[in-house]
Amino acid sequence: MDKILRIDMGAVGGPKTKETPLGEYAGLGGRAMTSAIVSKEVPPLCHPLGAENKLVIAPGMLSGTIAAMSGRISVGCKSPLTGGIKEANSGGQAAQVLARLGYAAIVLEGKPKDDTLYKIFINKDDVKIIPDNSLKLLPNYDLIEKMKGEYGLKIACISIGPAGERKMSAASVAFTDMELRPTRHAGRGGVGAVMGAKGVKVIVLDDAEMKMRSPKDPEKFKDANKRFVEGLRKHPVTGQGLPAYGTNVLTNILNEVGGYPTYNFKQGRFEGAGKISGETQAALEVERKGVATHGCHRGCVIQCSGVYHDKDGHYLTKQPEYETVWAHGGNCGICDLDAIAMLDFLDDNYGLDTIEMGASIGIAMEAGLAKFGDSEAAINLVKEVGKGSHLGRILGNGAAFTAKAFGVERVPVVKGQAMPAYDPRAVQGIGVTYATSPMGADHTAGYAVAQNVLKVGGDVNALKPEGQIELSRNLQIATAAIDSTGMCLFIAFAILDQPDTFQALLDLLNAFYGLDLTGDGVTELGKKVLSMERDFNARAGFTSQHDRLPRFFNTEKFPPHDVTFDVKDEDLDRVFNW
Amino acid sequence: MASFNEMESDSNGLSHLCFVVDETLISRFLLLLQRGFLIKAHIGCSVRRFLLEEIGLNSDAIEKIQSVILNGKPVDDLDSAIIRDGSSLALSAAVPGLVGATLRRGGRYSSFRSTITYEETGAQCFSGEGFVRMKLFNLLLDSLGRDFLKKGIYLSAADFKDFLAEQSSDFWQGCRDVFLNGKAAGLRALENIVRLPLSARLMLSVNVPHGDF
Repeated sequence: MDKILRIDMGAVGGPKTKETPLGEYAGLGGRAMTSAIVSKEVPPLCHPLGAENKLVIAPGMLSGTIAAMSGRISVGCKSPLTGGIKEANSGGQAAQVLARLGYAAIVLEGKPKDDTLYKIFINKDDVKIIPDNSLKLLPNYDLIEKMKGEYGLKIACISIGPAGERKMSAASVAFTDMELRPTRHAGRGGVGAVMGAKGVKVIVLDDAEMKMRSPKDPEKFKDANKRFVEGLRKHPVTGQGLPAYGTNVLTNILNEVGGYPTYNFKQGRFEGAGKISGETQAALEVERKGVATHGCHRGCVIQCSGVYHDKDGHYLTKQPEYETVWAHGGNCGICDLDAIAMLDFLDDNYGLDTIEMGASIGIAMEAGLAKFGDSEAAINLVKEVGKGSHLGRILGNGAAFTAKAFGVERVPVVKGQAMPAYDPRAVQGIGVTYATSPMGADHTAGYAVAQNVLKVGGDVNALKPEGQIELSRNLQIATAAIDSTGMCLFIAFAILDQPDTFQALLDLLNAFYGLDLTGDGVTELGKKVLSMERDFNARAGFTSQHDRLPRFFNTEKFPPHDVTFDVKDEDLDRVFNW
Repeated sequence: MASFNEMESDSNGLSHLCFVVDETLISRFLLLLQRGFLIKAHIGCSVRRFLLEEIGLNSDAIEKIQSVILNGKPVDDLDSAIIRDGSSLALSAAVPGLVGATLRRGGRYSSFRSTITYEETGAQCFSGEGFVRMKLFNLLLDSLGRDFLKKGIYLSAADFKDFLAEQSSDFWQGCRDVFLNGKAAGLRALENIVRLPLSARLMLSVNVPHGDF
């Protein structure tokens, strides 16, 4: 992983490739790599779909090694959804394969002169950029079947569906999983639209004859990995809860505390929650001979995913995650798991962010285009996006765009990006992160609950109201650092409770790179990433006024607890004072 | 917590259903417990005492209950929160995510949900027998739920009808017998249940043909 592959899609005479050494980007991976390149090389005032924007795809620092959980991949650019910097990450096989091919990043630059669509094939010998207009508007599943026919079964693919080709702001970039299905997505911020603007339909990776990346100290690395895996397996969340029920285990508990946004953020409880909970979903998967415990990439020991079969026992989609079940379920008043699974499949097939689409449909329902709870109508609305109809183009450009088109006032977005499945009036601390993250409303921006181990920000009294500001800051720093390693964020649960597991992670990094990294070093990396991102956004025109929740969160009481978001603006402005 | 048989003797005309089913069906019945059920128990005590003495848990089992939600509010102090007649008590093992960590009792991130944290009002409460609405989530369904099913739970007819409507044909094949008010009645017993008004309350217990589950 000692080079960057740059592909100029707008070069005279057709796309041209160039391999460059890492240079000033040496030692970076994942989000640190994508944000460093975007921050330094992309003009902040450029149009996100224009030639000046760049799409950066980067495996994590430990991707391509035997380290468990190291299969995350980051996609960065200027976001067409938020207008600011974006990093969206995903599981799947591509991170491992790309890293083993030796690339720390692929950077798509420029813009084709016409509407020719390209596929890119990369193996150990060559990079081929092939015009292929037969791929136009193919949904992801059909596209991957075609690639399997052309390149065989030992590949990993990075692709866009029709939504990306049509440059919709909710378009995702898809990554194939272990079964070579396009089920893993860098969903947020419209990264798929930027790939579409570059004229790239699919990148096919083949790492035949390439070996695992070798650590500087193989014995220490092996030992650290063993301790790391043991830590994950003994923790109740990563060793039991997530494997048994997946992330959808959150539905029941969020609903019970009244923090589950329902009917487009009108209330905090959904009467149908038990019908779509992780517990119900896992039982149904087992009953239909699907799989309730499954990984999204090789080397995953948490296994929070699964395989969802339809009523006839045929594959329908991967196990929908909590955010998807909420967005298409409770948020739209839908309590039918089969309908939600179909919506998940359609989103994956068209290449759409499930959170953004669920929010768009919730707003469409509020506008009267369909009734809350009408699952058939919801499916038809997503199909409109797949068709590219005028209505579909409105919905596919996200919640804020849909709300403007239909005159809806309750728009749960920050910096233009739809809010995920936790209402910030009930869980105010996450509202601080939604408001201030450079990415827009993002539940993963402050997900890495490792602050107590990292000890960033000194001693914080979490029980005082102001503690929420410090905690959000520290969580965002820790998350930015973990996103750079290529590690799945779910390792954070074990790190929170088990300092020895966090030490094992540090030991993995140190043994691989020959470093002497400490918790302080990880903190500095996280701060560096956030500083780059905030600097980009400031140059793009963002001010403190963009670090706010929509006004209705301050004014509309949220049942059943009738609470409002009451963190003061001046406190939100302190989040990044370090 | 009163056992099923004790419930039978003091139930004042409630329908008592006892399912005897194949072991493979127990997981279906466990899912009922996430949606809420009633138990009759001694109330007017702290949550910890309720868990110890009424539910019969030991300290280790209580430690594994990472989130305790009383009347829709996360509880941090099990010793000060009081169970009253009609209280709703939901129990969960550790769940993922920042919000999962936020909802842990006494956790580092509890300030994130300070506006909905349970605070004991100190209001007077009756000490004696009453009803408590319970919910069990995730890993606790399996670890605690079986005892509830054996001893018996109270459900609304509406919830039970919903449950029956969701079952596929293999469910009925796995039902070995059904007892209505202590008498073997087969699946015909369910005809009586279907005729109950939705608001009616019934008692349900579940067992396997031979031995414990």
